[in-house]
Amino acid sequence: MSAATPAASSSGGVSPVNASAPDVTQNVSSIDRLVLEYLRSRGHKDAERALNESLESGSVDESAKTVSAEDLIKTLAVYAQKPSRPGDNVLKESANVLQELTAMGNPPSIQTLIASLGTVGAEDILSVDPTDKEEGFRELEAWVEGSLDMYKPEFRPILFPIFCHFHLDLVQRGFKEAALRFYATYSPSLAPMHHATLHHLSTLLLPSHVQNDDDAQRFKNEKYVIRMSRSGFSLLVGWLTEGVGGEATGAGDGFSGEKGKRGRAAIMRVVNNHLRFDVTSASATAVSPNAWEESTGLLSQLIPQTSTSVTPNPHTFNASKGELKLGPAPISEELRAETERVIREQSVLDRDPNAQYDLQFLRPPAVLGVISPTESDMLPYPQSFKTVDVQREVEKVRDARKRIRLEPSALSSIDMNSVQGGAARARGLPSICAYTLHDVGEGAPCCTFSPDLTLMAAGFSESYIRLWSLKNEKLKGLRNDFSLSSVKDSGSLSKIQQKEGNTTRKLVGHSGPVYSLSFDPLGGSAVPPRYLLSASADATTRLWSLDTMTNVIAFRGHQNPVWDVQWSPMGIYFATASRDRTARLWSTDRTSCLRIYAGHLSDVDCVRFHPNSLYLATGSSDWTARLWDVQRGACVRVFIGHQGSLSTLAISPDGRYLASAGEDLAINLWDLGSGRRIKKMTGHTASVYSLSFSAESSMLVSGGADWTVRCWDVRGAGGSGKSRESGVTESTITRTNDDENNETSDLLATFPTKRTPITNVHFTPRNLCLVAGNFLAPDSR
Amino acid sequence: MSKPKAKAAQTHQTGIYKSDSVRDVAESLGIANLSETVASSLASDVEYRIHQVIEEASRFMRHARRTTITTSDIDQALRVLNIEPLYGHNPHNPPVFRRALPFPNAANVGPVYFVEDEEIDFDRVLREEKITLPKGVSWTAHWLAVEGVQPLIPENPPAIPKDVDQEITKSPPQANGAFPLTPPSESRSTVKKQQQQQQQLVKQVLSRELQLYYTRLTASLLPPTADSTKRTAALASLRNDAGLQALLPYLIRWVGEGVVTALKEGAQTEADGRSLEVLLDVVSAILENNTLFIEPYLHQLLPAILSTLLHSTLPPSHTTHLRTSAAQTLSRLLTQHSTTYPSLSPRIMKTLLVALISADKSKGTREGAIRGLVGIGKEAVRKGLVEGGGVKVVGSECTPGETGPLVDSVMTALNVLHPASDMPESLDATDDGDTVTIAQLQDVLGNFFAEKLHGDKGWALGILGSIKQQS
Repeated sequence: MSAATPAASSSGGVSPVNASAPDVTQNVSSIDRLVLEYLRSRGHKDAERALNESLESGSVDESAKTVSAEDLIKTLAVYAQKPSRPGDNVLKESANVLQELTAMGNPPSIQTLIASLGTVGAEDILSVDPTDKEEGFRELEAWVEGSLDMYKPEFRPILFPIFCHFHLDLVQRGFKEAALRFYATYSPSLAPMHHATLHHLSTLLLPSHVQNDDDAQRFKNEKYVIRMSRSGFSLLVGWLTEGVGGEATGAGDGFSGEKGKRGRAAIMRVVNNHLRFDVTSASATAVSPNAWEESTGLLSQLIPQTSTSVTPNPHTFNASKGELKLGPAPISEELRAETERVIREQSVLDRDPNAQYDLQFLRPPAVLGVISPTESDMLPYPQSFKTVDVQREVEKVRDARKRIRLEPSALSSIDMNSVQGGAARARGLPSICAYTLHDVGEGAPCCTFSPDLTLMAAGFSESYIRLWSLKNEKLKGLRNDFSLSSVKDSGSLSKIQQKEGNTTRKLVGHSGPVYSLSFDPLGGSAVPPRYLLSASADATTRLWSLDTMTNVIAFRGHQNPVWDVQWSPMGIYFATASRDRTARLWSTDRTSCLRIYAGHLSDVDCVRFHPNSLYLATGSSDWTARLWDVQRGACVRVFIGHQGSLSTLAISPDGRYLASAGEDLAINLWDLGSGRRIKKMTGHTASVYSLSFSAESSMLVSGGADWTVRCWDVRGAGGSGKSRESGVTESTITRTNDDENNETSDLLATFPTKRTPITNVHFTPRNLCLVAGNFLAPDSR
Repeated sequence: MSKPKAKAAQTHQTGIYKSDSVRDVAESLGIANLSETVASSLASDVEYRIHQVIEEASRFMRHARRTTITTSDIDQALRVLNIEPLYGHNPHNPPVFRRALPFPNAANVGPVYFVEDEEIDFDRVLREEKITLPKGVSWTAHWLAVEGVQPLIPENPPAIPKDVDQEITKSPPQANGAFPLTPPSESRSTVKKQQQQQQQLVKQVLSRELQLYYTRLTASLLPPTADSTKRTAALASLRNDAGLQALLPYLIRWVGEGVVTALKEGAQTEADGRSLEVLLDVVSAILENNTLFIEPYLHQLLPAILSTLLHSTLPPSHTTHLRTSAAQTLSRLLTQHSTTYPSLSPRIMKTLLVALISADKSKGTREGAIRGLVGIGKEAVRKGLVEGGGVKVVGSECTPGETGPLVDSVMTALNVLHPASDMPESLDATDDGDTVTIAQLQDVLGNFFAEKLHGDKGWALGILGSIKQQS
């Protein structure tokens, strides 16, 4: 949403049109000239230009020519204020719809039906009576609710786009009261699923708002895709044309009356101009209740255009992008040999013969069905390895050996309260240590642990960062008063270290709330990190050296607040997500960014690297998550299904799954390889702030604003357990209120805290779970 | 659009920002005749802009991981929308909006809110209020779960929010028109689930009636004021009423605490003595009540009785009565429960013996121990006084010719062992048989009490006989 006022948008590019207008008017028909003169007299310069252009190119739709001049003026006046995209969709016609349907390979019978609808739609575009919309929508709702149960999940998604278009039409034509009445009457039934969009639409009250609002324009200019089975679609067409087929009893005089006919026509207009039906051959019963989330909506801009895909379907897009290399990153032979040597030496020193067998952990088992990248695929990294690399790899092996194995699958079949349940709990669920911040003033948007758990950092709304040593060691920086020439080796460096220190340290530098922090991962769990990255509302990302405890670089480039920052799994590179709708890749040795990942239609809220650092996942306020090829900068997967902004992401350590949490309070689990949703996990009652996979990728832990930490079974089937058993029908599930139980069956455990929203959840490589949050004192707000 | 109809609809249908407000603002700027259409579309536009800002601010709120919008969010939103922020508000102390009283002369205005603008008196602030430096952010760590089980520690929320708690949270104090707190909608179902998981660990909740009964009861018993009728009634209720089982743990705890407080400060005053008496009465009343299942609580009840019995210094005027009634209660308890709880009497014996024999015990304690033994029975007296050598210890501590409660208690105990004869006939030191008896007596009872028995030959012989008979 931009801050531009409506007045500003119509001012640009007017004078050249005026100059050329007289020439154009001479070679157009009398009707058109009338229109042009009218437009000019009323000062609708944009519309005038639009008409001129369309006249010149001769692309005025046939049906538009058949209408009377007077009506055309009326219609055009409505669109007159439209600043851009002249004539794009305004009079888009049944011909186009027909073409699209042909491309989809529908049987000709449906095409003829559509064609017959088309002419009616074109006539009725001129009817401006607001009552027909209300009447039409009432009829449609009655029809959907009166249809057979097996078709209801298919038909219900139709209501929402038609509602939106009716509402926008009413607003755009200046029927504010009618729009408000329409909204008040019909929005409650749609509110549970589309609350966010509906609320946004309700704020639009004047035609100029509709013209300038991004979401409204997306509705106007994009096709709303609805997935339907073939039989369902023909039922819908049948009802639209003849008014038969599953009409609810006692729903008024139906389509026999004059009112009903016009209402139906209004619906058909929307169906023709703004909807696109993705007709599948699957039977209606095979569609799961949540499937519509993935294939319904204004998809065309969400999915990057490729030459092959005609219909915007996320699955076809994801399939067209080919296979991904999701396997673990390769380790160079030299590094591996050195690590093996160190492990052997240590095993001799420790007199621990078993440690020899640890070497198996060095070669991670190849995950089935996943391609591993070769060294040539990787981002450029330094050729030679350092001591810290060896230390990290050795510690990784040790972690793998000492890991607490979590087997959540053991829990699924056992009653939690029984005796065996206790043992299974111990085996299946992690130990969670909670770090609670107290006396936080305005709030701490982020709190994070270093990979070796020696440090904890929190970013505050008051623009500073605070570091704590979790081992109670003193954090020392460097003194200011030393001459550079005296520093020769590490010994002289330690001499200029500060003598005194505290176990906590404040890092000051940002000028806005700090939204994200990331410790450098190079040392792994073996060595304390040396760098910290922070992202802030002041549009900068800053790199802090933990040796000197000072700010080293401020990375500028984003135009808007930076929401998230994360190091790549092997250091050097990092990615940021910003309100300016882009994610960017940076490296620590350059101040400008290396790649810009553009394509999201709204804020990019979070970024996560794939464990092999080849891919980058982003979550956005446009309700989608995307996976990008880091090097090429291209989008390779789109994940559509959330019904709200995304708040956080997590990629499993085995590299196969992506978990995303959204403002719809659901956590979705995606298969990265196919781009398909595996399942939807619900249970949280407020925003989810953080997600983390266990080291074996078998368990997901989430923390959020409802003051709870929840454990989810990744491999479990999921699905709504209780509500289905009790025989509640689909309709009540979709319209559940908040107080009803909507926990899916793969929710293993819920651990409430005392008034502490959990801002970070972190699994250590040994499967201990750490969570952090700031305590809200009961009197504070 | 028909004008009158539109107007009528507008009054109750348009959004939050009314066209009247626009007209008010226009009038304040000196624009008198603003047309209805202009005002209404301006109002609509203003509302849209406000929504725009709020939508933007809510993003900042979400990323700041909060659930309430603060003034800083609005500032940030204005900044990114390229509007100058509203300076002068800080989120540390958000303004409290108060609702104005309805104006009598303008009924249709609707609710009016305003911000309280307090006048600050600098003199007073400087004199009275100490400005404390905030502590700064700190952290604590605790186990939220250990192997999937949430430990019941104070850092974690209680397993079951009791009904009372829920009622409290349901009605937060919103008297001054404060915003609601930021509770994530805690769904009942999760609570219920936890309830199932941890049900075994949780005590029964007392009904309101029982709670009321408990407070009335304890109030009428203690402090022991003059109103003896009430007390008697309370004790009678304890003795006979059924359905007090749920209160039992609380009552026993109350008795235990009462005894401790009474004995703690030396227990020298009259009031302490009387309250101890009452508490003993309560204990015996509980024991007498047939409907109560008291066995699980015996271990909690015994310390109260034994403390009273064995305490070194009881209030002088009550000493004898207290120790006697404690001993009686003890004996009652034993007769009732020693069958089902076989280890009970040996354990009590042991405690009493320790009090009787071990060095450095006061006379009061010794007396209490002897009375306790008497209460337990003849066998206990024989074991404690004679075999355990209790009489000798007591005798050695007594100066010759001493009388007092301790000596009396020993004599009572000896009486239990064998009743004194009705017509005492003194032992004759010259008689041979009597000399043997005296020697035996001195051997068994020590010099002090042997002398006491000199006056009654039959008793002495009886005691000796009863000892021999057993051994």
